[in-house]
Amino acid sequence: MAGERRTTALPGGIDRLYRAGLRTAGVIVLAIMATVGLFLLDRGFSALAVAKWRFLSTQNWQPDSHNFGIAAVLPGTLLIAGVAIVVAVPLAIGMALFISEYLTGWWQRTLTSAVDLMAAVPSVVFGLWGFHFLQGDIGITDLSAWLARYLGWIPLFAVTGADPDDPLASRTVYTSSTFIAGIVVGLMVMPIICAVMREAFSQAPAGEREGAYALGATRWGMIGAVVLPFGRGGMIGGTMLGLGRAMGETIAVYMIVAAVYRFQPHILQNGANSVSAMIALQYGSASQFGLSALMAAGLVLFLLTLVVNFAASAVIARSRSGQMSEG
Amino acid sequence: MKRLGAPDSEVDEFRGRREPETRQLRDFRSRGAASVLGALLAVILLALGQPALAADFFPISGAGSTWSSNAIDQWRKNVAQYGMKINYSANGSSDGRNQFKAGTVDFGVSEIPYGLTDGGVTDFPPTRGFAYMPIVAGGTSFMYNLSIGGKRITNLRLAGDTVTKIFTGAITNWNDPAIKADNPQLSLPARKIVPVVRSDGSGTTAQFTTYMANQYPDLWNAYCAKVGRSTPCGFTSIYPPSPGMVPQAQSVGVSGYVSQEGNDGTITYVEYSYALNKGFPVAKLLNKAGYYVEPTASNVAVALLSAQIKPDLTQELGGVYNNGDNRTYPMSSYSYMIVPTKLEGNFSESKGYTLGEFAYYFLCEGQQQADPLGYSPLPINLVRAGLDQVQRIPGSQKKSTDISKCNNPTFSADGSNTLAAKAPQPPACDKKGVSQCATGTGGAKSSSTALTGGGSTGDGSAGGGDAATDGSTGDAPGGGIDPDTGLPSGTARSNSTNAAAVPVSLSLQNSTWQYVLIGLAVALLIGLLVGPPLVHRYLAARRAS
Repeated sequence: MAGERRTTALPGGIDRLYRAGLRTAGVIVLAIMATVGLFLLDRGFSALAVAKWRFLSTQNWQPDSHNFGIAAVLPGTLLIAGVAIVVAVPLAIGMALFISEYLTGWWQRTLTSAVDLMAAVPSVVFGLWGFHFLQGDIGITDLSAWLARYLGWIPLFAVTGADPDDPLASRTVYTSSTFIAGIVVGLMVMPIICAVMREAFSQAPAGEREGAYALGATRWGMIGAVVLPFGRGGMIGGTMLGLGRAMGETIAVYMIVAAVYRFQPHILQNGANSVSAMIALQYGSASQFGLSALMAAGLVLFLLTLVVNFAASAVIARSRSGQMSEG
Repeated sequence: MKRLGAPDSEVDEFRGRREPETRQLRDFRSRGAASVLGALLAVILLALGQPALAADFFPISGAGSTWSSNAIDQWRKNVAQYGMKINYSANGSSDGRNQFKAGTVDFGVSEIPYGLTDGGVTDFPPTRGFAYMPIVAGGTSFMYNLSIGGKRITNLRLAGDTVTKIFTGAITNWNDPAIKADNPQLSLPARKIVPVVRSDGSGTTAQFTTYMANQYPDLWNAYCAKVGRSTPCGFTSIYPPSPGMVPQAQSVGVSGYVSQEGNDGTITYVEYSYALNKGFPVAKLLNKAGYYVEPTASNVAVALLSAQIKPDLTQELGGVYNNGDNRTYPMSSYSYMIVPTKLEGNFSESKGYTLGEFAYYFLCEGQQQADPLGYSPLPINLVRAGLDQVQRIPGSQKKSTDISKCNNPTFSADGSNTLAAKAPQPPACDKKGVSQCATGTGGAKSSSTALTGGGSTGDGSAGGGDAATDGSTGDAPGGGIDPDTGLPSGTARSNSTNAAAVPVSLSLQNSTWQYVLIGLAVALLIGLLVGPPLVHRYLAARRAS
């Protein structure tokens, strides 16, 4: 594009105004981001000054006795987000391919808006659904127990203090776990991942699709040869965006997990926590210093989410589907 | 009206030239149009009039206790008919105190006052002017979910030290001898106890830990030392959990968790009303007189007769824990509203007026509903003191309330507490001893629990050898029939161990899963039977073509 001759007139007054408006909007967004970061740094500084590097290595949260750190809640956040991604990505890929490649017309529009509608469900509703329905009514804990029984030899799925052969043991040891919180968060981030993937898949160039069919490919063969490689960037980017959202998810996690401040590596076992859920839990009763400690935890989460989201946008921008298609 | 209808009737006449209509119909039409317009006008007038009416009551907002939120929510709904808009977010007492201090809410609700030291941090009183106003009484109850042989039990009894040991990890199993001693006629299962505690800053936790720190300081301090808190640790708003406990957020969180079908073996501390709402039983707590009692309105009222009320109306509950009346529920307490006494921040006289009217309502009529909701009404002296506090809210209407017209069940002409005076004595089967009542408690009053032989020696399942030993140790044979339960009661035999067999259900806990699995198995079987020939035929057809 750069080397071609100029085909448009130099911008006039109204164009310049328009451009200035857009530029201002862009700067304001960046400025707000910066203020959030600076605010967290400013408020969290007094706690960070006390805790220093121990803030990253302490597994406890008692800010008033100066014994606090995010060594338990930060890995907890990543575990919940990890389970969420494992649940959401296969669902999202299937859904996106189904909508963009198999459905047409009314069904396509309806299912697209149904998935988008899922993104509009408030997170407190997902939390209630997870707590009362998933854990309470249908007893997802049975699935946890089954997984723990047969996959318990993998450290991640181990459950301590549970005897599967004890008929009197109740299922409480499997409740309020990383696994259940992760499933709910996964269903919450699935729509956004699905939307990004669907966009990427639908832009796969028609010429290449026709080419694949012309060479005798079945529909699945065409998807494997054209759509998926073309949409790889969108798939990775959508997953990263979902991961960013999953790490920041608060209320649903707050309602489901049994908040502990010691790292719980067993995802099927009772007890889990995330940075955002901890902030929501502790905010109400925090002292001045406790608030500062929470702000510091928020800062770490903010930085982590920022990194994940920037990485996501970089991946999307570099991929073929992020650039102009040559259909 | 005629003018409004006129254009329409003109249209009718115009139409009438082409398709004749009767005069009656035309009349009806024009009148109809006029009345529709009239109705519209009325609706608009009403819509305009509504804000004018509601402007008398400026909306106010508060935050705090989940302990008393069931009562507050009911009162808020009741005063909504007068146009009062009261917003209340039940995020816990700690949050309520902090938000009131920060000036973000017009009133706070808390079980404990400002100025207490929790874990070395003093919660200093706010700089804005404030006063405490008691709003309702109630009992912190122990709601549990426990079944024997697939049947939920509803008559559990616990002593204070047993409860403390459960919540400090000293007792971890339901068949512990201490629990057995409290429940001589229950064959408790060898199931793990899962104490469910609050994970957020909570007044309920503060009340419970105050009780433990006051009554069982050794047990409580030992636990505090174990979880890394400095001792003597006193009360705390945030429960320090240890492995094996399940922390949940807010009263709805803990009661919701305990009430989940699969969570057998759980117990939590929560206000009585939550157990009523969930339809779950609460443990009867042992008082100093040796009776196990339930936190009913009258038992709470009796207990609080010995509460010490300080000049600022806050409570000193040591006397309640040690109250020697048979009917005392030891963990009874008052809940407080923190109201502003100065015009500061965004608190205005118009807000003060709404808050004052709301307070007049719940201190008077509102108290009638305390009992059905799961609380206990305030006694007259505290209603009177509360009404005095209302007068201190800037902007509130200064009026004198005739307390005898409030229908408060505690009222009497001579100033004594009628509710407490009329409180029924606990039945004999609730006395600490060898028998226990079969009747249900809390939200599960209607379902009673089958009692087993308890201390009686006539237990057939004990086996011959046992009986022989019994005889040789010279124990008295089994007793007669208990007058209260109608079941055979035991004699005072302290060394007896109950050997009654308890059926253990081995079936799948959840029948939904059972049906899903059955469905899957049937589908698999059909697939195995029908699948291979079909696949073969399909492949053969393809090969042929």
